[in-house]
Amino acid sequence: MRIPTAAALWSVALLALGASSVDAQAPARIVVEEETLTLQPGENGQIAARVVDADGNPVDAPIMYMARGARGRLDVNRTTGALQAVYGGEYLVTLMVATDRNIRAEMVVSVPYPELDRVDVSPGAGGRFYLGTVVRHEAAVYDVAGDVRDVEPGWSTSDESVATVDRFGVFSAHAPGQVTLTATAEGVSGELRYDVVASPVTSISLSGSQEVGRTGDVIHFEAAPMAGEAASDIPVTYSVVPYADIEATADFPPAEIDQRGRFVAYRPGVYTVMATVPGHSANQTIRIEPRNVSETVEFIGQGAVRDVPTSDLWVWEGIDGRDYAITGTWGAFGATYWWDVTDPAAPVLTDSLVVDARTTNDVKVSEDGRVCVISREGASNRRNGIVIVDCSDPRNVEVLSTFDDELTGGVHNVFVHDNHVYAVNNGVRFDVINIEDPTSPHRVGRFELDTPGHGIHDIWIVDGIAYTSNWADGVAVIDVGGGDRGGSPSNPVLMTRFADIGGATHAAFPYWSPTGRFYIFMGDEIGRPGFNDLDAERTPPRMAGYIHVVDFTDPNNPEEVARYEIPEAGSHNMWIDGDRLYAAFYNGGTRVIDISGELKGNLTLQGREIAHYSANDPDSFVPNAPFSWGPQIHKGHLFIAEHHSGLWSVRLQPRRTLVP
Amino acid sequence: MTSRRLATLASAAALLAGLASAPKPAHAQSYRAYVAAESEDEVAVLEFTPEGGLSVEKVIRVGRWPAEIEGPHGMFFDPSGAYWYLTLGHGFPNGYLLKYETGPDTVVAATELGFFPATVSLTPDGVLAFAVNSNFYGDHVPSTVSVVDTQEMYEIERVTTCTMPHGSRMSPDGMHNYSACMMDDQLVEMSTFSLEVTRRLNLVTGEPVAGPVAHGAGMGGGGMSGAMAGGAMGVTPDGGAMGGMGGSGMAACSPTWTTLSGDGRFVYVACNRGNEIVQVDIESWSVARRIPAGGAPYNLALTHDGSRLLATLKGSGHLAVWNLGTGEQLAKIESTQKVTHGVAVTPDDRFAFVTVEGIGGQPGIVEVIDLANYARVAVAEVGKQAGGITLVPGAG
Repeated sequence: MRIPTAAALWSVALLALGASSVDAQAPARIVVEEETLTLQPGENGQIAARVVDADGNPVDAPIMYMARGARGRLDVNRTTGALQAVYGGEYLVTLMVATDRNIRAEMVVSVPYPELDRVDVSPGAGGRFYLGTVVRHEAAVYDVAGDVRDVEPGWSTSDESVATVDRFGVFSAHAPGQVTLTATAEGVSGELRYDVVASPVTSISLSGSQEVGRTGDVIHFEAAPMAGEAASDIPVTYSVVPYADIEATADFPPAEIDQRGRFVAYRPGVYTVMATVPGHSANQTIRIEPRNVSETVEFIGQGAVRDVPTSDLWVWEGIDGRDYAITGTWGAFGATYWWDVTDPAAPVLTDSLVVDARTTNDVKVSEDGRVCVISREGASNRRNGIVIVDCSDPRNVEVLSTFDDELTGGVHNVFVHDNHVYAVNNGVRFDVINIEDPTSPHRVGRFELDTPGHGIHDIWIVDGIAYTSNWADGVAVIDVGGGDRGGSPSNPVLMTRFADIGGATHAAFPYWSPTGRFYIFMGDEIGRPGFNDLDAERTPPRMAGYIHVVDFTDPNNPEEVARYEIPEAGSHNMWIDGDRLYAAFYNGGTRVIDISGELKGNLTLQGREIAHYSANDPDSFVPNAPFSWGPQIHKGHLFIAEHHSGLWSVRLQPRRTLVP
Repeated sequence: MTSRRLATLASAAALLAGLASAPKPAHAQSYRAYVAAESEDEVAVLEFTPEGGLSVEKVIRVGRWPAEIEGPHGMFFDPSGAYWYLTLGHGFPNGYLLKYETGPDTVVAATELGFFPATVSLTPDGVLAFAVNSNFYGDHVPSTVSVVDTQEMYEIERVTTCTMPHGSRMSPDGMHNYSACMMDDQLVEMSTFSLEVTRRLNLVTGEPVAGPVAHGAGMGGGGMSGAMAGGAMGVTPDGGAMGGMGGSGMAACSPTWTTLSGDGRFVYVACNRGNEIVQVDIESWSVARRIPAGGAPYNLALTHDGSRLLATLKGSGHLAVWNLGTGEQLAKIESTQKVTHGVAVTPDDRFAFVTVEGIGGQPGIVEVIDLANYARVAVAEVGKQAGGITLVPGAG
C-alpha cells in the first residue's frame, strides 16, 4: 500500500473523527495577521501568519508562500514570507502548510503604482486644423518608471466654441481660432495646440482606376481637393453608397473602401464612391460585375492509401522524363511511397520504403530529381532526423544516408534547395545540411529566432530566400544566399519578420503578383479550442484557422491586406501556380482561389473561389471524410495528398454555360 | 505526543490502509490502469481481473491539434483518485500539464510548462506536481523542473536542474522530489518546501556535486561539429535495441528514473546506459549499492512491501525483478515486443503492469505479470508507443 504521510494521516483523522474532537497539534488552519499589506515600490515587508490547530493553539508547522502572477513584480520568499515590492499592483498571496498544502489561506499585498509622468497625444504635433474636419486622437499614459499604464484619460478643449472633443478623443473643429486639446489622467496632462482655420478648398475631384470592375477587384480612388493649388494636407473622407444587385438582411457589407481610397466589392451592383472635405464632395459611380471564375473539378485518379494516414507530397519530373510523386505517412509505421503519375488517371505505386519512425511527415525532392529527403518522427530510438534517398530510379529507391546529429527532436518539415536540406528541428530552429555528397551529409548552418518562446513549423525556400512559419512569431524571411544581407546556407540572416493577427502561422507561401506586389500567404493551424474532444469515436477530426494575405512589397512595412477563410474548416498546406492559390483545408477539402490582381478584404466573399474538391473515399479507414493535407500543381494537374485516402489527381475544367 | 494523538493517527492509518489494500473477494478483484500512447495521442483505460483478463475499457483522445502529434507521456493519479494528470510533450514549442477528472476523463484545467515535459509526480497531499521538462530533443543545456499548484493549475516555479531531467518521483513524506539527469549523470534532490535544488549526486563517481554539467553548445555555441552529439545511445551489451532517449553525449550512466523505498531511506536510480541500478542512501547522500542490470534499465518500481525491485529493460525488451535483500535477480521476463517502457505494481503486490512501446507501426501493448510466478498473464494492445502508466488508487 502507499505509505501515507503524517499530514495525510492527520487530514483523514480530522475527517474521520471530527475536528473538534482533536486537541493534538494537528495543523488545521493558517491565521494571517493582516489580510492586506501595503508596500511602496522598493519597500520590504513581512507576512505575519501562523499555523493553528482546530482549537486555535499554535502549531509549529512551516508555511509556503506563493504569489501567482507576481514574478518580477513582487518578490516573495517562498519559505519565510519576506516581501519586496518591485512594481505596482494588487497581488494575491497564497499561504499553504508545507506538510499539507490543502490547508491554505490568502492575503493581498497592495503596491501603489508609480506616479504618472506624462500623457502623449497622437496623431500629430498640432498646428493647422481645418474647420469642419474630424480626427480621432489617442492618448498614451506613462508613469515615472516609463511604463505605459492602462488609464483612460479625460478629454477637453480650451474653447468649445472653436472645437470640441468627445470621450473617445474625437476632435471636431467648429470655428476659426486657437484651441488646445488636452488629455488628462490623474492630474497629468498632454496637449496639442491647434490653429483652426477655414478650409481653403474650393473644389474636389475624384477619380477611380476603373469604372467597371468585378467583385474582388481593388479599385483605387484618388481625391484631389483644390485650393487654388492642391490642398494636400486636408483630410479626405471616403465612403461608399451601395446599390448592390442583391441585398440581404444582416448580410456582410456589399463593398468597402478604406481611407486610402482602396475600394473592393463583395456583391455585384452599382456603387457610388464619395470623397468629402468640409463643404465639398465629389463622387463617382462604378459598376461591379460578378467575378465568374468558377470552374468544375474532374476526378482523374487516385493512388489509394487506405490503411494509414497520408502526410505530405511532392511531384516531380524524374530524370527519365516520366512524372513521379512521393507521399509520406503519419502516425503509422514509417512508410514512404513512390508513384508513377505520368498518367494521372492511373497512379502506379513504384516503390516504398519503411524507416524507423511513426511519421514521415514531409517529403521533398532535389531540383535535379535524384535525391529524396524524408523527415522522421517517432523513431523507436528517439533519434529521428532525416533519411536521404537515391530516388533517381523511383522503381528502386535506395537509402543513401541518414542524418540525426542534433536532429533528435524530430524533423517535421524539410526543404531541399541548392544541395542543402533545410530541416525544421525540434520545433524551435532549422538546421542546414549540406548534401552535395548525399552519402555524407553534414551540417553547415543553423537559424533560430531569438524571440521569447519562439517556435517554428515549416520552411519554404525560393531563390535563396527562406520563408519560415513560426506560430505566434509569424513569418520570418531569411537570406540563405539569395538576399541582399550576405546570407548563405552556413550563415542564414534574418531579413524581416511579420506576425499576423492570427498568431498561429503554420505554413507560408510567397507570391510575386504580376501587379508588382509581393504577397506572402500565411496559413494558420488551429486545433480545438480546448483539450477535450467532442464525441471522438463518431466525429472525424476538424481544424480551424485561415489564410492571411500579407503585402510584403515594402518589406519594412508589411501590411495584412486580405484573408481567405471558410467557416467550417482550417487551413493547411498551400501551393501557388500562376494567379491561383491551391489551399488544403483539411475537412473543408481543397480550394482553388483566384488571386489575380491586387488583393484586399475577404477573398472568400468576393467570388474568388474557383473550385472546391472534397475527396470522398468510401473504402478508406475513415470513410468519406476528406482531410486535405497538401496540394501541388504539376503539368496542369492538381495532385492532392489526402490524409485519409492517399494521393489524388484532379483537373479543373471551365464551367460550361447552360444553354436553355 | 499524547496518547489521544497517537490513537487518532492510528485510526487514520487504519482507514487509509483499508482504502488501499483491504482484501477483497477474489471474484471482485480488479485493477485499473491508465496508459499513454505517445505516438497515438491517446490514453487507454484498462481493467484487469485475474479471472477475466485485461481489456481496454476506454480510449481517450488527447491534445488539441488532431493534425499534430502532441506526445502524451507522463501520468500520475491524484491520491484521492478524483483526478489524473498527463504531460503533453510537444507544443509550439512548450508542452503542457493537463488535469483530468476521473470518470468523465475530461480536461478540467491545463497549464503550459517547458520543453517536452515528461515524467510527473505529485506530493502526497496531491497539491504540488513536479514535472520534468526533459527537453529530450533539444540542445544539451540545463533544463528545468516545473512545479505546479494543482488546485489552481498554474506553474509556481520552473527550477533549473540539469540537462534532460527525467523520472520525477516524491519521497514518501512528500518533502523532497527526486529526478535524474540523463545527460549529466546526476541525481537531483529538490525541496518541496523551498522549491530549490538541495543536493546533487554524481551517479558515476558517487560524489556529491554542486551544479549541472556544462556541456558543449554545439552549433549554438559556435562549434560546428556538434560535439555533444556524437552517436546514438549505444546498442546494449546484450545486443538489445538502442534503449535510450534521443540525444547523446558523454553520460556514462544516463539515468532515466528514480523511485523511493517506502521507508524513505533509499532512492533507486536506473542507469540506462550504465546498465545498472544505483541504490542511493538518502541520509548519507552516497551510493549504497550498484545492482547490475544489463539491457538498458529505464523505468523502475518497487513492491509495496519493499522486498523487490522491478525495472523495464528498454534495450533488451524485458522486465527484470530483483530481490532487494539479496540482490539476486529473480526473474527476467521477455516482452512480446521491443522497447519496454513503464512499470507499475498493484497495491497488493500481486501484479506488475508493463507498457511496451513497440517499433514503427506496432501497437503499444500492456502486459500484466504475475509477481508470484513471474508469468505473463495478460496482454492488451493500445495505441502506438505506449509509455506512461498510472494505476487507479485503491484498486487491488
